[in-house]
Amino acid sequence: DDCLTQRMMSHPQLYIPGQLNLYFSKKAFFKCAIHSCYSSLVLFFIPYAALHDTLREDGKDAADYQSFALLTQTCLLFAVSIQLGLEMSYWTAVNTFFVLGSLAMYFVVTFTMYSNGMFLILPAAFPFIGTARNSLNQPNVWLTIILTSILCVLPVVTYRFLLIQLCPTINDKVRQARATPPPPPRRTRIRRTSSRRSGYAFSHTQGYGDLVTSGRFLRRPAVVSWSPGFPPVGRATSGFSPMGRSAGYSPTGRPQSSKVPDVEATSLQMYRAIKDPPL
Amino acid sequence: MGKAKDRTGPLARRPDNSAFKQQRLPAWSPMLTANTVLPFFYLLALMCLLLGVWLLLTVQSTQELKLDYTDLGSCSECYELRKNVSYAEQGCRCKVEFYIDQTFKGDVFFYYGLRNFHQNLRRYMDSRDDAQTVGRESQLKNPSTYCEPFIKDKDGVPIAPCGAVANSMFNDSFSFNYQTSSGHIMPVPLLRKGLTWYTDKNIKFRNPKTGNQTLAQVFEGTRQPLYWQKPVYDLDPSDPTNNGFINEDLIVWMREAAFPNFKKLYGILNRAGDPFTHGLPKGNYSIQISYNFPVQPFQGRKLVVLTTLTWFGGQNLFLPIAYLVTSSLILLMAVVLTVAWWKFGKDGKNMKE
Repeated sequence: DDCLTQRMMSHPQLYIPGQLNLYFSKKAFFKCAIHSCYSSLVLFFIPYAALHDTLREDGKDAADYQSFALLTQTCLLFAVSIQLGLEMSYWTAVNTFFVLGSLAMYFVVTFTMYSNGMFLILPAAFPFIGTARNSLNQPNVWLTIILTSILCVLPVVTYRFLLIQLCPTINDKVRQARATPPPPPRRTRIRRTSSRRSGYAFSHTQGYGDLVTSGRFLRRPAVVSWSPGFPPVGRATSGFSPMGRSAGYSPTGRPQSSKVPDVEATSLQMYRAIKDPPL
Repeated sequence: MGKAKDRTGPLARRPDNSAFKQQRLPAWSPMLTANTVLPFFYLLALMCLLLGVWLLLTVQSTQELKLDYTDLGSCSECYELRKNVSYAEQGCRCKVEFYIDQTFKGDVFFYYGLRNFHQNLRRYMDSRDDAQTVGRESQLKNPSTYCEPFIKDKDGVPIAPCGAVANSMFNDSFSFNYQTSSGHIMPVPLLRKGLTWYTDKNIKFRNPKTGNQTLAQVFEGTRQPLYWQKPVYDLDPSDPTNNGFINEDLIVWMREAAFPNFKKLYGILNRAGDPFTHGLPKGNYSIQISYNFPVQPFQGRKLVVLTTLTWFGGQNLFLPIAYLVTSSLILLMAVVLTVAWWKFGKDGKNMKE
């Protein structure tokens, strides 16, 4: 996803974090350890305090050992799943299925292990019978789970957001640039004299013959203005990006020869096009 | 590059050019931008605040009374008596009085509480035999070795129910009395059934099959745990269906508590007759206690707890207060982030390459 060949070639600064060992160093490990300590304390003490002196709605036991264990486990699962969701940069159908699926699987396995059938087969091995049914229908159990998830995940979100605002890394900048394309070019830039803004000048690469012949550029939405005579600014890139990759898919784009309709040029290419001096 | 190629030659083993195999699936790429994060934080702070206030009001509407009777009044003599194990066979009764100044409206639940009794100790929790208490014939006279040393008595007769958990069952009993305004003392009727989880009473604990024998005959060849005064088939003389392993007090005790300070349900107020139809009226009450359970060896305390309940449970103020605190923390963070965004990140100032 962020090792897209295209992007790495056009933004060599993306190699810097690897060279400086930014993401796997003692400092990174220490931050990780702090986060783990904090999460562990939250995941134990919040369920402890919430269950400490509590009862079910019908007066029966709610603060027993098995309910406490189940509550702590469930809090952990939810906190971890939400954290995982935050870490995922690209939510494809497959990713979403597996994350939500593991959460669902946890409940399936829990209810199976705590069911009557398993207990009657091997009583000594499945002593938690009935705990899931009796504990997870209590509103204060779910309120505890929500509170724990909030307390575990929000510090991470805060920290990341602050970091993006105060000192964004090259990865953040590139992602931001991809997501919010810069404003469209000014319409007065119709200078027929500089027709060599197009990639045609760089004939040592494959060029855009197929693009022109396919007429694909004609179907582009009206973000970019162009005048007849030379291709839209969006296609004008340096010769180092011979393949027209699209922005909407991850991580590799479309190969250049297949005819996919209605795809805007990479916003990155448009970005670069503005910056390049006329050739 | 397309699909139209033959499957021979140097490019024969190339994977299909499908979206799935070339990792080109449509994806949503969430980003932490200001216009998603900041409203989310403010909204979350508001919701936590509302939730906290609502829960606080709910919890405040419960009423609770806790009475530590370990050495209160005449029970101090029983406390001294129970310090000496040789007098364990000797009964001791004491009386404790209390006053309720505001009527307990609705259903009232009676609990006995213990402090500093670690039912969550691992070796203690292992010392039970679930196969025996589910009524398996093979385990009745041959309990699991996990119950050691509470498995056989000195004559080699197996114990039913075996293990330390059953052996240490709480055996104080209470009878509550209410003094009416005319000075007449009347007993407070308690329902002593319906105290357990449905799954515990009906599935986890079952008596061995009786057939045409009485329960006492089924348990022949076993004996009661060493600390008990009555055998397991005679725990409740007033109700024959509440004997054996399915006795409600036994089941309630066998569900080990998570923490050293806990309370377990003893009874529910029977609101069938006057003056208890609306709850516990205010006035003077007294409890006659049959004091058996010794707590001095582990520096514990014994309590009686009376409480009313709501959908949220009893009087546990932690969750409402935690929600209110969380809400204010989130609001503080949201303000800090807004300031950071305004000064540094607005309009992409920090994104210059």
